[in-house]
Amino acid sequence: MLRSLFLFDVTFWLYLAAMGLYFGYLLASRKALQPAMAGHPSASSEDDGWAQPLGQLATWVTFFGLLVNGLALGTRAYERMQISGTFAPWSNQFEAMAYVSFAIIAGYLLLELKYGIKAIGAFVVSIGFIAMGAASLLPYRYQVAEPLVPALNSYWIYIHVSITLTSYAAFAMAGGLGVMYLLKERAERQGRQGTIFDTFPSLEKIDELGYKAVMVGFPLLAFGTILGAMWANYAWGGYWSWDPKETWALIVWLIYGAYIHARMNRGWEGHRAAIYQIFGFLMVIFCFWGVNFLLSGLHAYA
Amino acid sequence: MDAVTKETEAAKPFTFKEFGDALVEFFSSLKLAIFLMIVLAILSTVGTVIQQGERPDVYVKEYGETVYWWFVKLGFIDIYHTWYFSSVLVLLCINSLTCFHQRFPAIWRSIRQDKVNVTAQFIQNLKRSATVHLPSDPGTVTEGLALAFAERGYRVLVNKGDAETTLYATKGIMGRVAAHVAHLSVTIIVIGGILGNVIGFRDFGVCLEGETYHIPQGNFDLHVDKFWIDYYDNGAVKSYNSTLTVIENGESKLTKTITVNDPLVYKGIWFYQSSYGDSWDRVEKARVVVREKATDKVVGEAILDWKKEAVLKDLGLKLQLTDFVADFGFDAKDRRVYSKTVEHENPAIKLAITEREQTLTAPWVFYNYPDLFEIQGSKYKFELTGYLAKKFTGLQIAKDPGVLIVWLGSTLLVVGVTLSAAIYHRRVWAKVVSGQQGATVYVGGTAYKGQIDFDREFDRLTERLKAQGGQPT
Repeated sequence: MLRSLFLFDVTFWLYLAAMGLYFGYLLASRKALQPAMAGHPSASSEDDGWAQPLGQLATWVTFFGLLVNGLALGTRAYERMQISGTFAPWSNQFEAMAYVSFAIIAGYLLLELKYGIKAIGAFVVSIGFIAMGAASLLPYRYQVAEPLVPALNSYWIYIHVSITLTSYAAFAMAGGLGVMYLLKERAERQGRQGTIFDTFPSLEKIDELGYKAVMVGFPLLAFGTILGAMWANYAWGGYWSWDPKETWALIVWLIYGAYIHARMNRGWEGHRAAIYQIFGFLMVIFCFWGVNFLLSGLHAYA
Repeated sequence: MDAVTKETEAAKPFTFKEFGDALVEFFSSLKLAIFLMIVLAILSTVGTVIQQGERPDVYVKEYGETVYWWFVKLGFIDIYHTWYFSSVLVLLCINSLTCFHQRFPAIWRSIRQDKVNVTAQFIQNLKRSATVHLPSDPGTVTEGLALAFAERGYRVLVNKGDAETTLYATKGIMGRVAAHVAHLSVTIIVIGGILGNVIGFRDFGVCLEGETYHIPQGNFDLHVDKFWIDYYDNGAVKSYNSTLTVIENGESKLTKTITVNDPLVYKGIWFYQSSYGDSWDRVEKARVVVREKATDKVVGEAILDWKKEAVLKDLGLKLQLTDFVADFGFDAKDRRVYSKTVEHENPAIKLAITEREQTLTAPWVFYNYPDLFEIQGSKYKFELTGYLAKKFTGLQIAKDPGVLIVWLGSTLLVVGVTLSAAIYHRRVWAKVVSGQQGATVYVGGTAYKGQIDFDREFDRLTERLKAQGGQPT
């Protein structure tokens, strides 16, 4: 039994707890908001009740989860070093998933630090949790650290894989924000008040944050794909072979390229952008998972 | 540019220039860019769903004859090399180049000079704007504003008038320059790719240890010194290795052990460790058991080296292993033996037998069918009981002179996309108008992207203005 697997397990439970706390925070803030609806111009901090401590706790549990996640990846790196002399803790599907959830959670905490919007946590931490959960559902043989096959045994794995996976995390964040946008938009259209959606940031803000997340992911995916091409030029005998994985990376990149260009026109913000972000994230999921399990190609080992 | 267009419009109702402008407008449009990217994404998807470059029977088996016929017609079995796929790529290049041609000059000019003088009306119509009355001296207010912008990294231009002063502050124009760098890089990458396709090549060679192969594209020879496999402790493969020596004009120029991630490069030609396998037309050694026909008893055994004569003195035999096939096939027309596949399905050796100084015909001896033929005029039966296959190393041989151009384009792409995503172009105008009790400040601005950060910055700025004692209206 590998020590890292225990730590990955702990990460899973911590993220679950964090997700619960964030949803608890949303519910508590809704209650806190209700008297404000009755006539007070704003909800003062004394009325927060459970919301504030829950929000604080959620952030700390998430942070602690991130630390354990990092520690698990570090331990896995050490274990890999013992087995095969390379340490990249993202050398199979399981490790890649664990790394993606690490990147999502880290990205979220940075966002919370910068903008102080906790309501997003319920959605983005959920995605991180789902990524971790999906990883732990993989069969045991996918979870252990097998030595690298010759094609992967290269220093390129450190940089190409980590950067590509980080871009997936950014797109996941954009997808989560897209879902938030649509939920809030629907609640506003139906004129419902006193729901958890009131605690969400304004629609414009959610929209803009989603756009920013894409703007982080887009250059990273370009960089990651090009690093992959450079690696292929050493390992496969050519920088581009139209292998399904690299083709899908290109497809995803084109999809977000179209998104970025479309946003320069009016009318492509807000609702449409939110739907597009969700669609883009589904494409990312296919690129990350679907290609490995449904299409055959040179990346079959990932 | 607009003025020029209008002039010609007045002179002639329809000119080539106008037609050209319309064409440029179309090719530089955002809509075309979005359309082309989506089309490219869809075509690429088709290429990943339908396997590319397979043998016809693979498609027929999976999709049926009719569908396969359509696939061939539509080019779906090699979609990335069809005329329409290339056309979309070329259109995308034209699109980004015309966009560069249309929009870049204005951006470049605005680095040096920009619209400073604007009306208060213009400022109030901007996406973010505020009006603040301050009891202070207009000159001090202007200075304070200029300082506030300069502190935040803005470039500030001030236009002093008698009653009013206009202030223009901008930063992040480089983000827009970078976007155009990214546009240009797409074309550079495509050019590199085309160059590689036209004057480069990709070949595959099956090479045996100890053999020398001529590489016509580089006019040198390649000698394969050795091929071997390294394993981890648990038996998994760690690396495939071939030691290669380049020989030019009879001289050894370079020796290198290549592995999967570490090719040999000589005169721009790359040699990759691509695959390996058991050779189908020769073996290292073979073991032959000799039985006496009369008693069916084993009377001798020989380990035969490839094409070397072995002597079994007490039996009066000389044996030589002269040929091998992995999957025995016989071409009746040419009366020739060959290997039907590369798999070791039906291995056989050709054995030259000399018995008591008398050369007999050389029969084929089968591994799977020991008693197939009786050898005329011999006291013995010969059985092939095992052999050591000769390993071959599969080398990919490639030359791609376009690759450096592709890397240049890729670098520009990453730098361009990163900078354009990280740097937002922001412009702020402020008009300080002196009144009876101090000054009225109209301030307003826009961000090309990144509205949320700009909003925060703008709010802080107006807060700071108000803190100076002013009242917003």
